Amino acid sequence: MDLKEAIGRFVQNGDTVAIGGCGRNRSPMALIREVIRQNKRDLHIVGREKGMDFDMLIGANCVRKVSFAMVSLEEFGLAMNFRRKIEKREVEVDEHACYSIISALRAAKMGIPFLPIGGMFESDVLKVNKNMKEINCPFTGQHLVAVKAIKPDVALIHAHGADRYGNIITVGPPFEDVLMAQAAERTIVTVEEILSSEEIRKNPYLTTIPYIYVTALVHKPEGAWPTSCDVFYDSDDEHIKLYAQATKTEEGFKEYLDKYCFEKEE
Amino acid sequence: MVSIAELMITCMAREIADGDMVLQGLYSPMPMIACLLAKNFHAPNMVYFNTADTIDPEPDFVPFSTAGPKLEERAVAYIPLSDVFDLAQRKKIDLIFLGAAQIDRYGNTNLSVIGDYKKPKVRLPGGAATAHLCAIIPTIIWIPNHNRRVFVEKLDFITGQGYLKGGQERKIKGLDGGPKKVITNLCVLNFDEETKKMRIESIHPGVELKEVIENTGFDLIIPENLKVTKLPTERELKFIEKIDPHKVRNIEFTKR
Repeated sequence: MDLKEAIGRFVQNGDTVAIGGCGRNRSPMALIREVIRQNKRDLHIVGREKGMDFDMLIGANCVRKVSFAMVSLEEFGLAMNFRRKIEKREVEVDEHACYSIISALRAAKMGIPFLPIGGMFESDVLKVNKNMKEINCPFTGQHLVAVKAIKPDVALIHAHGADRYGNIITVGPPFEDVLMAQAAERTIVTVEEILSSEEIRKNPYLTTIPYIYVTALVHKPEGAWPTSCDVFYDSDDEHIKLYAQATKTEEGFKEYLDKYCFEKEE
Repeated sequence: MVSIAELMITCMAREIADGDMVLQGLYSPMPMIACLLAKNFHAPNMVYFNTADTIDPEPDFVPFSTAGPKLEERAVAYIPLSDVFDLAQRKKIDLIFLGAAQIDRYGNTNLSVIGDYKKPKVRLPGGAATAHLCAIIPTIIWIPNHNRRVFVEKLDFITGQGYLKGGQERKIKGLDGGPKKVITNLCVLNFDEETKKMRIESIHPGVELKEVIENTGFDLIIPENLKVTKLPTERELKFIEKIDPHKVRNIEFTKR
């Protein structure tokens, strides 16, 4: 399957979309660009500590709501589209802590409506977020926070290798990639390499996401560019710097999108 | 000549005790180097967790992204951050280093918005693990730009829980952990045991007390015997230079 078919068939307008990777590492950037090229709308995007992937989708007007613990370009500065659209109140904010995002996804994976966690008390994040409520444990009375499940319609993930059945190997940090695949109704994965079924069967302990969770597989070398992909390549910091510069204005971002997304063949 | 980054890194490293379980987050260049420094010097038995999801990596040099693949080198295991947060919830993590866009006298921090939450003047990146962990484990806050826009009388939003309104409020509200120190480019700060108001612990060499006062938007407690921050040793400096040949440590001070 190619990018066009995977996104065209499995991402619908209005979907809740979980996006793998962390910071500028192993974001499914080729999939992100295809979502933008296909002009998907009203998405609810979900991730823990995100960067350019979230910022591009928001800037390209694909996003209705954003669930996050942090969105930034690290040392290259604020994620400007994220900043602008929220300041103009064009995107709904669902601000979390890392652990509450994880818990919302864990609840979805388990098929339950919420998960109780500790921490969060007395933070204004808890006060403003309607998807968290203070509760008491029915057994011990312990004061806890119930975090409402976030059920992704689709998870977008980039990984290292897979056989053609979609048994995925991720070399390196798991981030939330596995959890997202387990929590989502559908999962689209791009990989650097296609392996033989024999190779997978020889080392089953290397499979991080078995095929049962995978809806679509796309062979897409450098599918995480300009973010990093462990043993294959590091993040393209010069490009991320260029992106940070370009997104200082909306016009700059439009030019960036034309050049690096709409005119890019992949 | 010791740079301010090197001094702040050594201050952070000295807060790590041998055997501590310590977490370093995303966009945390100085804490990353501080963890490696501590582990190679006074805290060989500390456990070093990081946002590249690894335990005890031994990179030959540090990456710019503090979740970058370099932090996987010679690690003993991968551990998803979700598991580290599970440990924190069980009070098994001893320390995390956190940043702040604004901080008040009780160590409450803001990483969310400047202005009204619903119609912010500036939407900031968000606190990452802050709102969860500040309620349950000890934290060290580092601030590379000690000035009145950061050290404010009143926060626009409390992302990270410090000592709330001071005194025993944090305890009464049932929170554990809390901010131990604030390490800035001018000084090291701690909190008065009774009032929980911020107090100067030591001032960095070459910094005047006046400078600290003028750059803080509230009154600090000034101890009678004002100490000067201990400089890194030659060996520590050599280690920092070796582990950080690309000067990742300076990225919070100078644009890349």
